[in-house]
Amino acid sequence: MSLAGSVADRLGAIVGPFGASPSGVSIAIEDVDGRVLASAGVVSTTDDLAEVRHEIAAGGEVVGRVVGRGAVDRSIIEAIVGSVAAGVGAVVEVSVERLGAADDNSHRIEAELALGRRIQRSFVPLIPPDVAGYEIASHYEAAREVGGDFFDVFRPQGRAGRLAIVIGDVTGKGIAAALLMAFARPLLHAAIDHAPSPVIALDRTNRILVEERRSSLFITALCAYVELRSGVLRLANAGHEPPLVVPADGRPPWWLELDGAGPLLGAFANLDLRECSVQMAPGDLVLLYTDGVTDARAASGERFGDDRLVSIVEAARGGSAAGMVDAVCDAYHRFQGEMPAADDVTIVAIRRNPKRARSGR
Amino acid sequence: MALTTSVEEVAGRVPITVVSLDGELDASNFERLIDEVRGLYDAGSRQLVLDLSALSFLASSGLVALHSIVRIMHGEPPPDPDSGWDALHSLGLDVSSGATQAEVQLVGPQPAVARVLQRTGLDRLFHVHPDRATAIGAF
Repeated sequence: MSLAGSVADRLGAIVGPFGASPSGVSIAIEDVDGRVLASAGVVSTTDDLAEVRHEIAAGGEVVGRVVGRGAVDRSIIEAIVGSVAAGVGAVVEVSVERLGAADDNSHRIEAELALGRRIQRSFVPLIPPDVAGYEIASHYEAAREVGGDFFDVFRPQGRAGRLAIVIGDVTGKGIAAALLMAFARPLLHAAIDHAPSPVIALDRTNRILVEERRSSLFITALCAYVELRSGVLRLANAGHEPPLVVPADGRPPWWLELDGAGPLLGAFANLDLRECSVQMAPGDLVLLYTDGVTDARAASGERFGDDRLVSIVEAARGGSAAGMVDAVCDAYHRFQGEMPAADDVTIVAIRRNPKRARSGR
Repeated sequence: MALTTSVEEVAGRVPITVVSLDGELDASNFERLIDEVRGLYDAGSRQLVLDLSALSFLASSGLVALHSIVRIMHGEPPPDPDSGWDALHSLGLDVSSGATQAEVQLVGPQPAVARVLQRTGLDRLFHVHPDRATAIGAF
């Protein structure tokens, strides 16, 4: 199968979410010679349009380009264009490797799964950034069938004193879930870069998801802003498992349950979220995770569950963020035994470094 | 643990189909449940009661099934989660208003299941009834 053929073949699935966009964004996918292979969305030519171009690379080769135009914030177009280019690149690469050779149905399904995983992996950061005064650790494990977990840890544009952490789970599975994740992650990133609060960031993302597409796939997401100097963690929750707060002073771990938590992203026009915050003292740790942890199942049929998580966390308290992530990971692997993981697992821990006792030398 | 479904036709003010879920609704079986309800709709069911009282676990993929079931009973073609964006995008049911629909009524979720519905806000889509009789009476 030719590269261009693969692109055209797979394009509907990728451009679909941008079709008939009411928010004035158009996306075109061109081949290397500038021929438009597919386009979606309509923009008015009278508007002052921003234009963003992004090359599509696959197997070390430029195979085409994505062009986005719109009257919305340039960073949003950049995020969408970048995401589509990455998605198309991954699709082309795997199409050529695997789908070309797939003749019967079972091979095709395997190839689709590999494709979903590839898309997913390219969107999950494996190395968290270095942040003075804090330790961040994470673990991500893909299920065989592609669950749709994602997370992101970064400093928002122009905000050196702030760290943003996002963790999310696309409901459902398969390629559609992986593509929605590939679309949503940069959207959240762009929203966070420009939103003064996590509630506004989730609201903006939700609005775009609801306007751009209507499906039965949703996203649960937690968005946290850590104000690094003060140690205040500000949180908004759209239908996700609440994070666990592990205080250094010996109090038991507790869930940062919000009165202002709202529904998952993509289903309702209004989230009605409220922000909630926790002051992290030196040594305090906050654990964010997806339901792949608590829903993990043992051979007996028993689920890992919330209570087990709390007792593991309690036993591992006082150590590093990496130690906490390892402890949860080990416990869930031991619990699960030989059972195949049904869902992705994502664990992110952030710990404010404890104050060093001054050594009297 | 698997999911067992049983189907019963009840004559209320209108003909009502009661589907009882027993076990766990998760990524391994949510598509089967969607197919089953699609079959019921094709066979003429227009009012559905989902009895959740024996459902011990609801995973996030189960939410996809619940939402798809609302669409099916609303007369919308259900999305095929594997067919990509085109199929998903062609659907028109406006979930954004968050208005409770009338075609699907829920019965008796256990606390763990109710918590998932509440946490994810999907409870906004449904009337939840304490027992079957109340749900049937709601049509």
